[in-house]
Amino acid sequence: MAGLPVRGIKTVVKNVEDGGPGIRVYTLCDPDLWELPPFRPGAHIDVYLPGGLVRTYSLCNDPVDDKHYVIAVKHEADGRGGSIVFHDQVQAGDALVVSLPRGGLRLDDVPHVTFVAGSIGVTPFLSAAGYLARRGRDFTLYVIARGEPPLATMLAPHRASGNAIIHDTGASGRPALEALIDAAPPDAMLACCGPLDMLEAFERATQGRPTERVHVERFVPPLLPFDPQARPFTLVLARSHRQIEVGLGQSMLEALLGAGIEIPASCCGGICGACRIDWLEGTPVHRDRVLSTTERARSLMACVSSSADERLVVDL
Amino acid sequence: MLDTAPVQQPAAFAPIWSGVIRHLHITPRAFLPMHSLPELNLVAGKGIEGDRYMIGREEGFYSGKPEEGRQITLFEIETLIALKRDAGIDLEPEEHRRNVTTEGVPLTHLVGKQFWLGEVLLEATRLSIPCRHIEEVTGKSIFDPLINRSGLNCKILKGGTIRVGDMVRNA
Repeated sequence: MAGLPVRGIKTVVKNVEDGGPGIRVYTLCDPDLWELPPFRPGAHIDVYLPGGLVRTYSLCNDPVDDKHYVIAVKHEADGRGGSIVFHDQVQAGDALVVSLPRGGLRLDDVPHVTFVAGSIGVTPFLSAAGYLARRGRDFTLYVIARGEPPLATMLAPHRASGNAIIHDTGASGRPALEALIDAAPPDAMLACCGPLDMLEAFERATQGRPTERVHVERFVPPLLPFDPQARPFTLVLARSHRQIEVGLGQSMLEALLGAGIEIPASCCGGICGACRIDWLEGTPVHRDRVLSTTERARSLMACVSSSADERLVVDL
Repeated sequence: MLDTAPVQQPAAFAPIWSGVIRHLHITPRAFLPMHSLPELNLVAGKGIEGDRYMIGREEGFYSGKPEEGRQITLFEIETLIALKRDAGIDLEPEEHRRNVTTEGVPLTHLVGKQFWLGEVLLEATRLSIPCRHIEEVTGKSIFDPLINRSGLNCKILKGGTIRVGDMVRNA
């Protein structure tokens, strides 16, 4: 399901560069080179593509570069279509609307960071690596890829400094993630971005570590298990005084969009944070992977949340 | 000794106020950071040169809902002080997203009135209303604390150049 064309940040594609095997790097900027809204290292944006697709991409650049959003897109012939539109249709000089940056890593109070990236999953960590390197901070970036690594030009300074280590799975297979994790100091922050099986292996390898120091970056929403407790409920919109029925098998987001309520949406799987809304009364059932416990006390993700009661009041 | 005798005669005139421009900000498009500038050029009936709500530019978040009072917006520096004092929130002058930050001006009293901003004559059309958009842009929970003190919307009756340090006074 594509999100609605909400108003966002108007950018132009400043240039398009080769980023390695099947990868193009798009640099976006304001039409007048005004500063863009700030972002945390490893934050992501939604891009509103020609044809109505909305896709989420990590920012690769250091947040100190406040005039550009740099994203890398790998051509995925069997993907959901966003990369094909990007590669086939988006050129330098084109206008693109993007969302405010969301998410990102809080890196200021950790003594060491170990990043594990599977191929193009290196993108958010390149932003973080630039941020940490500029501050002279300690980190290790493992890039696990077959053959030529992605985004070699951006990786080059970190390889030269010894902070980035490349594992070519074509030559030696995928390294045991346990070994990479065990090499990290006990108080290190551990972060992974890559294919689903790598994320699962990473979660197993980090089970003994404090959960607040483990970060898993997802871009393909995990399949939600069927919820046998799910039931229809009434969504009450406190500000607009409307009531919307959410049917069995229907998401709250679908019900809202169906009723003509404009809600930004992107992943529709509870990981990107685009469709976050605040709730006021009731008992939401949270099934997202993006909100903290504290944030859930106030907000929910409309794409995956449901209600334990017959009535849920939201701040819309 | 404190005089507690009831007031027999109300004053004929309210005390006269005067204030000063402390900060000036514009941005060319919605969502983008505001720039602090030492002076701004105001065009009567249109807006501020270079700002998102200038008539003819229409690149603001609310440009789809045009009104005269979007030509220039003002905000009290006293509100920023109160946010810090009462809610522990640090909000900088470039974050409230109004164009002019004033000190010593009772903005909420000026709806429907004309007043001078340096050499420029304004007429206040309504109180500004906080919006969730500002929470989205700043990442700070300031919607509720800004209710009823979110600034003033004005139209520009006589244009000109305004500068930080200019006096604000009744017309």
